[in-house]
Amino acid sequence: MKDLKHLIYFEDLLQNAFNPLIAQAQSEGKICAAYSCENIPEPLLNLEGCFSVRLRAPRTGSMEMGTYYLTSFLCEYSRALLERAIEGGFNFADCIITPDGCTMMNRCIENMELLKAVGKDKEKFFFQYLEIPMKCDDNGLALYTLQCRNHILDPLSKTFGIDVSDAALRKAVEEHNKVCRLIREIGEFRKGDKPRITGYEFHIITLATYAAPKHLILDKLEETLEELKLREPDEKDAFRARVVVVGSEIDDVDFIKLIEETGAYVCADRFCYGSLPGRNPIELNDSEDALTQICRHYMEASQCPRYMNTGKNVARREYVNALAKEYNADGIIYEQIKFCDPWAYERMVGSHVLHDDFGYPVLSVDRPYSIAGSGQMRTRVQAFVESIEIKKIQGGSANG
Amino acid sequence: MAKQIGADRLGDFYTNGRVRKRREWRGLADTMYDYSCWLKIMLILGKFLMCPRNIKAMFRYRWMANYLAVPMMVDRHTQGLRGEYLRIAHTEFDLVVDDVAKLLANLFRADRRIGNDVEFSKKCVLVDENEMTAVMMGFPTLKGLSRETVSTYVPVLQNQHAVLHYLDVAQDYGLAGDVCPMPAAEAGVSIDDDAPILGACAIQCNTTCDGSLLGNGVIAKRLELEDGVPCFQLAAPLRHREDDVQEYAAQEIRNAIAFIEEHTGEKWDWKYYFECARRVNVATESRLGWLEMNKTDYPQVFGSNLALYTETNYMAICGKIPEFEKADRKITALAEKAYKKKMRAAKEYRHRAIVWGVQSHYYMDFLLWLLNCWGIVPLTDMLSMVSTRRLAEEDTPENRETAIYDMAWLTENMIMRNRTHGGYKVLLDELWEFCEEFNADMVILWEHMACKALSGFHGQFEEMARERGIHLVWVTHDLFDPRVVSRQGVRDQVNNYMRTVFGEEPIDPTLEVLPDQESW
Repeated sequence: MKDLKHLIYFEDLLQNAFNPLIAQAQSEGKICAAYSCENIPEPLLNLEGCFSVRLRAPRTGSMEMGTYYLTSFLCEYSRALLERAIEGGFNFADCIITPDGCTMMNRCIENMELLKAVGKDKEKFFFQYLEIPMKCDDNGLALYTLQCRNHILDPLSKTFGIDVSDAALRKAVEEHNKVCRLIREIGEFRKGDKPRITGYEFHIITLATYAAPKHLILDKLEETLEELKLREPDEKDAFRARVVVVGSEIDDVDFIKLIEETGAYVCADRFCYGSLPGRNPIELNDSEDALTQICRHYMEASQCPRYMNTGKNVARREYVNALAKEYNADGIIYEQIKFCDPWAYERMVGSHVLHDDFGYPVLSVDRPYSIAGSGQMRTRVQAFVESIEIKKIQGGSANG
Repeated sequence: MAKQIGADRLGDFYTNGRVRKRREWRGLADTMYDYSCWLKIMLILGKFLMCPRNIKAMFRYRWMANYLAVPMMVDRHTQGLRGEYLRIAHTEFDLVVDDVAKLLANLFRADRRIGNDVEFSKKCVLVDENEMTAVMMGFPTLKGLSRETVSTYVPVLQNQHAVLHYLDVAQDYGLAGDVCPMPAAEAGVSIDDDAPILGACAIQCNTTCDGSLLGNGVIAKRLELEDGVPCFQLAAPLRHREDDVQEYAAQEIRNAIAFIEEHTGEKWDWKYYFECARRVNVATESRLGWLEMNKTDYPQVFGSNLALYTETNYMAICGKIPEFEKADRKITALAEKAYKKKMRAAKEYRHRAIVWGVQSHYYMDFLLWLLNCWGIVPLTDMLSMVSTRRLAEEDTPENRETAIYDMAWLTENMIMRNRTHGGYKVLLDELWEFCEEFNADMVILWEHMACKALSGFHGQFEEMARERGIHLVWVTHDLFDPRVVSRQGVRDQVNNYMRTVFGEEPIDPTLEVLPDQESW
């Protein structure tokens, strides 16, 4: 296929945590609200006068300092973030807002605070920690709403004078939805037999929406969508199987690339930093306040394994099944970043349920934060693709 | 062989096998007392085995074999003890043994695969092993039973190798090997279908860590979706010191109580609740009294005597069993008596230590070893530094509302999670405050390697201890899995520090290296 016009632009944006668009937005007088977990409702950080950036540590090499403070038993994502913070790589942030989503992320941010690693020369800089629900119910919603008010809206309003009124929230949701609809529309091109976008390209574009101020990439997203409508897919399919990738956070640009290089087309992205469900538009009604509705959306849509009620546990696996059907997947890759407790359990159960109960071939892997050089991972994915392929050729059951 | 404390070389009792060469001679009175307690435990064990369904359970459940090592476990925790210390240890351990025997008997009576007493099963509510059982304080006619306590938690105390099979099962099934082995073993029991099936319903809780929270999902998958026992997940807030989470926590308690009422047909009994709350207050006051003593030169209830008993009494008992109130009072009386006599539990006290972090389950008697081998007095430990809040104990309309918040507070502050969650203040800052209060010159820091909450402050612990001039001794272990770090591996970390940093020789050199690799 012909290269996407803005792909290199999006790739460049992801080369550094502090990308040029962040600097541009800040020069416009906007506040950069950094966050670290998908359980923080993004529109609340994208009110008029501020914008969200989800923390990443691209091109991570050594993590000695992060490992000293957190030990080698914490996930590399948390270690890489701390390392980058100590190096001064997150000093662009005007505040950091984090939930007690998982222990490792909490410890990572708390270490940043104790080490005073972020917020240098920013008088108004603050850290905020949120309690977020572990169950999807009314009590959880009440907590979520209160915590978002106390630990996001109030500090933004009091510290930076951000308008946090209901009208402002609705406007932020509207802006947020513009990006979501574009991403979802672009993602639709993954469904056909001859997809017009690769999983890698889609991953890059989606990642950019988390890592850069949204209003500054909107035009590029729109152009990309138009371009895709006219893009001619290759005559011969370069891929031998279609897979859904499910699991913990992936902000590494190389992971999806590695999978696709082995011949598996990533047709759906069900991971943190992915579009499913992270880029589902938020539908608001007029009969209830916007904050409650935003929180409900995040609570109900979340696929984070820290949601512990049985209903949510079952629904997570059903959601993967539904995605696999919708995107016509041949198999599922369950991945977790190594040392991630929540996904260690979810991967174990999910990979069995999707295989035993739903009949999909499943590859279950753990991985480091930066994957590019991993020959081991390449071999495992190659073998998985071959096993799917052989089954197709022999007409055997997918469950075999 | 002598009556005097420290007269025996305790390492000489060890063999390369599972048990010791012989029982310790502690002088006539103490030996007779200790022996009578040993006989009492054998009697409990014998009585337990007289019941046919318990025999059946012994053959059905793999973990049951570990209970044959109960007398050995108590012996390990009374090594070198004399006088009041010995009596305090037996008061606690013998009561805990009796309580666990009753728990087992109740579980097997209701278990569909063993006793299958359907009517009794309807009066049982399953609870987590590491869960504060406060929501059961108002149900006098119901039994709150923990399957995990008997299948994984207690067996590791008895036999260091007890749950290795279940860890292997979980990992065979696909669980990563780096998660905490406690929830991993519990999940392994469920995957292996090796837990009793019973109960009108179950109350699970996001107890101490992400692993515990997620392990519950594996258990619920078997229990709720296959065995048909309805599960309620009680989500206690993590940032438990914040005011703006307390209403959520209280509502979770209300919902849990309503769930139990719905599935058992029983009604919450306030009279019984306040009776239990009064007993919780007695336990709290007793513990505070012991801790006050431990701040002096003559600590009396410390080490394993404090740690294991607090864990049982605070969390699993939670005021529901009157015998524990009697034990609290008896222990206090013994401690006060010893304090007046200025008694010491070892022949030499060299260092005063706060034991922090999550202790190794397969080496719970390590605290006694610290004392006997190196003269390190474990004044208190992280798991004993739990809530000191006084609960409302008078039944008034206002207090009924307060009580909901009290139960929520207890649940939020269950053992371990009150330190591993709640931000760095509760884990870091308060440690140094305790060091000052207790006049401690060192911290024994259990580094449970798979505990992310603890490991996540590794660098901070080191730097802050250095700033304060406190000796920080890392003791790495893997909680339930002695294959990763053996008991000797645990000891060596202390041995090395004491020899190289302090330049000291052990008080009892026979304890420095012990052949207990194969031991229960």
